[in-house]
Amino acid sequence: MKKYFALLLTMLFLGCSGGSDKPDPQPTDEGKDRSVMLKALAENMIIPSYDQFKTKFDLMSEKSKAFAAKPDAQTLGAFRSAWADAYVAWERVELFDFGPAEKQTIRNFFNIYPASEAGIAANIADPTSSLEVPASYATQGFPALDYLINGLGANDTAVLAQYTTDKDAAKKLAYITRVVTRMESLLGKVMGEWKGEYLNTFISKTGLDIGSSTSLMVNGTVLHYERYIRSGKFGIPSGAMANGIAAPEKVEAFYKKDISKTLAQTAHKAYVDFFNGRHAVTGEAGPGLKTYLDALGAKDSSTGKLLSESINTQFQAAAAKLDALKPSLYEEVKTNNQVMKDTYNEMQKAVRMLKVDMTSAMSITITYTDNDGD
Amino acid sequence: MRAYLQKYTSAAPLAIFRAIFGLMLVISTARFLALGWVKELYINPQFFFSFYGFGFVKPLGEWTYLLFAACGISALLVAIGWYYRQASIVLFLSFTYIELMDKSTYLNHYYFVSLLCFLLIFLPANTMFSVDARRNEAMRAGEIPAWCIDCVRVLVCMLYFYAGIAKLNSDWFVEALPLKIWLPAKNDTPLIGGLFNQLETAYVFSWIGCIYDLSVGFMLWNRPTRPFAYASVVVFHLLTSLLFPIGMFPYIMIVTALIFFPAGFHQKLISYIGRLFRLPTAVAKPAGRYQFPAMVRPVVYAVLAVFFVFQILFPFRYLLYPGELFWTEEGYRFSWRVMLMEKAGYTQFTVTDANGKRQTINNNDFLTRLQEKMMSTQPDMILQYAHMLRDYYASRGFVQPHVYVDSYVALNGRTGKPLIAPDVDLAQQCDSFRHKSWITPFNNEIKGL
Repeated sequence: MKKYFALLLTMLFLGCSGGSDKPDPQPTDEGKDRSVMLKALAENMIIPSYDQFKTKFDLMSEKSKAFAAKPDAQTLGAFRSAWADAYVAWERVELFDFGPAEKQTIRNFFNIYPASEAGIAANIADPTSSLEVPASYATQGFPALDYLINGLGANDTAVLAQYTTDKDAAKKLAYITRVVTRMESLLGKVMGEWKGEYLNTFISKTGLDIGSSTSLMVNGTVLHYERYIRSGKFGIPSGAMANGIAAPEKVEAFYKKDISKTLAQTAHKAYVDFFNGRHAVTGEAGPGLKTYLDALGAKDSSTGKLLSESINTQFQAAAAKLDALKPSLYEEVKTNNQVMKDTYNEMQKAVRMLKVDMTSAMSITITYTDNDGD
Repeated sequence: MRAYLQKYTSAAPLAIFRAIFGLMLVISTARFLALGWVKELYINPQFFFSFYGFGFVKPLGEWTYLLFAACGISALLVAIGWYYRQASIVLFLSFTYIELMDKSTYLNHYYFVSLLCFLLIFLPANTMFSVDARRNEAMRAGEIPAWCIDCVRVLVCMLYFYAGIAKLNSDWFVEALPLKIWLPAKNDTPLIGGLFNQLETAYVFSWIGCIYDLSVGFMLWNRPTRPFAYASVVVFHLLTSLLFPIGMFPYIMIVTALIFFPAGFHQKLISYIGRLFRLPTAVAKPAGRYQFPAMVRPVVYAVLAVFFVFQILFPFRYLLYPGELFWTEEGYRFSWRVMLMEKAGYTQFTVTDANGKRQTINNNDFLTRLQEKMMSTQPDMILQYAHMLRDYYASRGFVQPHVYVDSYVALNGRTGKPLIAPDVDLAQQCDSFRHKSWITPFNNEIKGL
């Protein structure tokens, strides 16, 4: 009996040391190395995406200054087009809502819609009003600019009149500048952290417990897909979420209207690219959640199909619904709402896979408390 | 049996057990308070998942702190053996009350602690090495009935053995699940991290873990194997504490297993500590035998007999239910099923009423993340939550609300699927110990016990 137990213990220790004696790095092992994944995602995707956004944002900022200096049809047109480009680029970084972006809660100040027309009017009247409090979220960022350059009048002449002949024209121009300046400052803080100390922190916190990079990143991005792509862009406007009552005025870019599909498509594609670890510049697939899941061998036990493939298939199904929509999601909600609900339902299926199958396969913790894994 | 009941042995092992166990609970309670969990788990949430039949056990608002104070102080009194009998009763009641307040915090080791506290009420653990024995000469005794120590040992053996039996299933043994999923999450551990990427490691851990659980109780009991067994207890529990967030449990088990050591070991320990505290020899090593009062003795025998019969049978109640235990979790708790499943779920509730009102629920408006996580995979909690939603919306103008759930649950790496029939109105289902027919069949087989 004693020998038997001693043998068991020996096996345990042999089992413990067996692997470290042969340090031949197998490709699957590298795929399971989270520091490799985190480094690749930060350097190939997150930081370059912010750089790309910053370029578009700076252009918008420049055009907004030109417009403020000399509001006319030409500067307005240039500002609008730069705004739309920057908004689209924003959709490629909004998903990184963890670490610096979460700390600065940049999304709350960049893209909470629908814009509050009354709140914006009040802020125009009172230039000392706070843009930091939660009540001010809907009075700034891209949705507020959308209202200010596309929604203040019935046509271009009427919009321009607001900035030229209106008695508060100067105050309105000043508010545009105030909004853009505030966005610039927040973006500077977030990018500054990513290019500074946080990058190392991000790569080195390789655990999967709460507070570790992978856990923060997966929880943050899954929440983004669920709440800000599925619900925000489809579930809420279509009424699929509450009471079945459509709310077309709650679509993204409500005043510009015809870019709402592009924004949603960009956001969805950004998420799929993130999942597949695609380089922001070259588009080449690299280490990411897909390679990590594949290295773990996550697959459906009955069919043997890789989980990452199932998820990508579901992404494609959702993208197919999304691609078939008209450029203005506002129009779709008004005239053909079922296709909006269908898109929502396809995305809902992807949400479940991300929230349950993916996080379970990765063994990601969501709470601090003790657990005996019941 | 009669001869066994009249066998006497040194009281030292039980006295040491009392002291260390009490101290561990003092530390546990202090840790719980220090981490802010009282507020997070028992004061902040709006809703609590009570156990079936224990609906009256609820957190007490800010007074919950008092409950924890009572638990911590009584644990300290048990440790030093001062007003031991009263303290052990308060400890059992307060600890058990805390554990019954919310199902989402259920842990097998809390149940184990509750059971040990219950046993301690009936055991003469204060006859030596205690303040009671120091203050009251009449309470001193150097020997107690041998069964008093054996019943603690039996409970420890049962915990391990049943935990081992629970591992005798195809997921654990053939698939190395869930360790296959959990170990790579720790592959960044210094030195040994690389091992956790190897599939072999998951198999070795699974098999050794199972054999360990099945055998360690007997190995501890059997003198020749005891040193190895104890060493394996230490290694095993330290390893699990390194790998999994299981709090105080590993340490409680490591010190509890000392109860298997011979009396001489405990007596030496007591004499050593006794010298430090200048305890009179009459307290550190008293003479005389402890006699249960004649009136009490049959009652204690009866209570303990019922207790152990219950302990033997209760974990097998799952056999009375149809369906896969891991999926339905009918009869899962209070059965020493530890670290057996990687189960994750997602639930989206919809409340409707006769007038066409309809509301999709954001669970975070009602539940904490821990509660949501636990609820999403456990049918009885899903039902409790559905009833809470029913009552909430009934008070908000919904006429006879209906509650439906769109659930998606993944078990041990299988792709997720609905746990609850989506077309069943949970508002109208009653909770009971009967099988819940609205649980979707598992349609897969996990062979074994």
